[in-house]
Amino acid sequence: MTAQEVRLCGLLLQEHFGDVVENVGTHLIRNGVLTLRALAHETKLALDLVKKSLCVLVQHGMCTFGPGRRGPAGPVEYHINCEHILHMLRYPRYIYTAKSLYGDTGELIVEEILQRGQMTMSSTVKTVADRLTHNMPEGQSMDYNEVVSAFSRLVETHFLQRCPPMASAESSGTGSAETPPAVTQPSNPESHPDCYKLPYISLSGHGKRRRSSEDGEADQRAAKKAKTDSSECGDEGIHWQVNFERFHLHFRDQAIISAVSCKLDQTSGEIVRTMLRMSEVTTSANAAFTQALSANEIFRALPSNYNIARPILDQYLTLLVDDPMEFVGKAGDSGGGMFVVNLHRALANLARATLESVVQERFGSRSARIFRLLLRKRHLEQKQVEDFAMIPAKEAKEMLYTLLSENLVQLQEIPKTPDHAPSRTFYLYTVNQLPTARLLLQHCYKTVGNLIERRLYETKENKRLLEKSQRIEAILASLQATGAEATQLTEVEEMITAPERQQLESLRHHINKLDSSENQVDETIFLLESYINSTQASR
Amino acid sequence: MTEVKVKKESTDPVDIENRIKELCQQFPHGITDQVIQNDMPHVEAQQRATAINRLLSVGQLDLLRNSSGLLYRLKDTQSASKVKGSDNQEKLVYQIIEDAGNKGIWSRDIRYKSNLPLTEINKILKNLESKKLIKAVKSVAASKKKVYMLYNLQPDRSVTGGAWYSDQDFESEFVEALNQQCFKFLQSKAETARDSKQSPMVQRNSSFATSHEVWKYICELGISKVDLSMEDIETILNTLIFDGKVEMTIIAAKEGTVGSVDGQMKLYRGVNPIIQPTGLVKTPCGLCPVFDDCHEGGEISPSNCVYMAEWLDF
Repeated sequence: MTAQEVRLCGLLLQEHFGDVVENVGTHLIRNGVLTLRALAHETKLALDLVKKSLCVLVQHGMCTFGPGRRGPAGPVEYHINCEHILHMLRYPRYIYTAKSLYGDTGELIVEEILQRGQMTMSSTVKTVADRLTHNMPEGQSMDYNEVVSAFSRLVETHFLQRCPPMASAESSGTGSAETPPAVTQPSNPESHPDCYKLPYISLSGHGKRRRSSEDGEADQRAAKKAKTDSSECGDEGIHWQVNFERFHLHFRDQAIISAVSCKLDQTSGEIVRTMLRMSEVTTSANAAFTQALSANEIFRALPSNYNIARPILDQYLTLLVDDPMEFVGKAGDSGGGMFVVNLHRALANLARATLESVVQERFGSRSARIFRLLLRKRHLEQKQVEDFAMIPAKEAKEMLYTLLSENLVQLQEIPKTPDHAPSRTFYLYTVNQLPTARLLLQHCYKTVGNLIERRLYETKENKRLLEKSQRIEAILASLQATGAEATQLTEVEEMITAPERQQLESLRHHINKLDSSENQVDETIFLLESYINSTQASR
Repeated sequence: MTEVKVKKESTDPVDIENRIKELCQQFPHGITDQVIQNDMPHVEAQQRATAINRLLSVGQLDLLRNSSGLLYRLKDTQSASKVKGSDNQEKLVYQIIEDAGNKGIWSRDIRYKSNLPLTEINKILKNLESKKLIKAVKSVAASKKKVYMLYNLQPDRSVTGGAWYSDQDFESEFVEALNQQCFKFLQSKAETARDSKQSPMVQRNSSFATSHEVWKYICELGISKVDLSMEDIETILNTLIFDGKVEMTIIAAKEGTVGSVDGQMKLYRGVNPIIQPTGLVKTPCGLCPVFDDCHEGGEISPSNCVYMAEWLDF
């Protein structure tokens, strides 16, 4: 775990779960695996608090526990999963994708499960139905069946999966009371055969509308009754979690399709989309190529509003194969031609375009020319760089040295004589794509950390103002509920002066901007991470 | 007796010289001593030698060596008149420079070839330059190095750098202008191909342009005062490839079709970038020059970052 990743994880934990969990989480990240007692000792917190924090982390799948170094008889050790914590940055993107694919119902389901970490199907359905009913006009309510169908669609396309089961063993006598009596191997959720099987639940009814605060007490009683009802639905113990891998595959497909559409045209993008859709569930996550699809199959699977003639489709496929970017490759000639999408190569191209775009924006288009030149030609001498790039010698030298100082370009020495005399050595400039991608990824982590810190700082600076505005809103709401007159309302509203209002407005604007830019940097993070993972998988 | 001898000698040397010159004109490749002897058998070797030496010193005869002996060749009258009045060393240096042709020769090389000391060389070079017989041309490869060549010769491309250099300065505006023009040409070609709405294969093929077509277009545009060859245009198109705006394919072409080199033709096509500017560069941190110095609690930190403050108010 690099320093920047640790810092970012700490910030994310603090924002979503609070200081205590952040404390526990950061110590776990820094020290690797720890037992409960060691953890309590390091963080100097009460054992109770440590236990609760660990519960939160385990619930969200960010922490796993298992038998420690001393074997099953010894204390349990806790191991944190940094990548899961960094996925928290991407939650808005997951929710947005669910919304675009499955509508509001899908969006709310994914949001609820992300918030709670793991949930049973019945509780999800009930909560989502209640929320949807609340937003609907009076008199209508959301039927459970609709929510159930949306849920099952999410499971069918593998966006949701069952949590891996915990086999519980008897707690041996030596184990102290506070260690949870569970022994489990860190199992891959997909290894469970029923991973995507929907349980049979007997659940029917409608969403309940949440009444206003007057009926608060009645509502609480009803909520308590609802909790005791859930045990009758028939799916206790089957918890569902979000399948992050599947969302990542979806994002990767989207990136490839948009790149193809930009480079070639819309129709080619649609063809690639069809190919990727057909191989969604048949291709494993780290495959270098999708399964081979014949042109006949692609033709049949094209969306009906794109009536392209068969020869035209063949031409498009040939063009895709001939393109220098090599998104699509030909794997055989049976069935009218077998075609695959080159996933790893597409990711490498996207990562390379990201690197080039960073160099271009940061250092100018001439430095970007030199960078692309070095990416293509691998190793070049100073003189050759000037000649190929057609940039005057002095400027080319300056740009090369700037890139070198930023570590985007490396220098390779090839001596002509055994004593490495500088006058008799070749100095070649080169760019290595993978290490540069890793470097940029760390920069991205640091940037997101900076953005979050700035947001917290802005909020802290204007805390007084925010509190005041919240108080005034509360007063307004209560006045409206009790039916006050218009003059009283305007009096209360005027308690916020105009410049304060402006300040509030600008603060809101700043925070929105920082939020959206976090999401944009996260897109870069996703591309670079996928590329780095793809190179590791192929090794 | 001596009078007669003197009289005879006073006319004879001139006659001998003239005769030798005529012989040289007869044999432009050069005459050997043997030839002169055959022609004027009555002349003694001593007189012959004097005559030849006189002609050499005046500069009307060239002394060359070949496998069978020494050759004498008549020198150009023009160049002969030029070096009249110079002494031997200067003539030697001048000869060396002349031999270097239009590539020019460096002063150190002149020293090696003539075995003259450096100070002498410098004096001679200054002399010759003032007489406007030679000139110094700055080499584009090493800017401090000066090569010398004859005054009226055009320097070779390798010294001046070819079409992109004028007076030792790399003409970057010229290159940029050519860059833009080529790109516009290819882009408009791609757009017309896309708008033609034919089958995709035809579209793609019509959006390609061969390097020959681009060369013709640039020549007709007339923005270049220097003649550009097809290789020059190809180097410009290569820079467009490195800008990521153009891609190239090579196809096999019949020998003899216009623009084909060794049975291949290079085709160029304008392309769009495959991604938008990436998310990292949309934040101030992505472009920050002091990114590495920034950390919480330091002089430069996210909380007091001026770049962020400006960006947020934008």
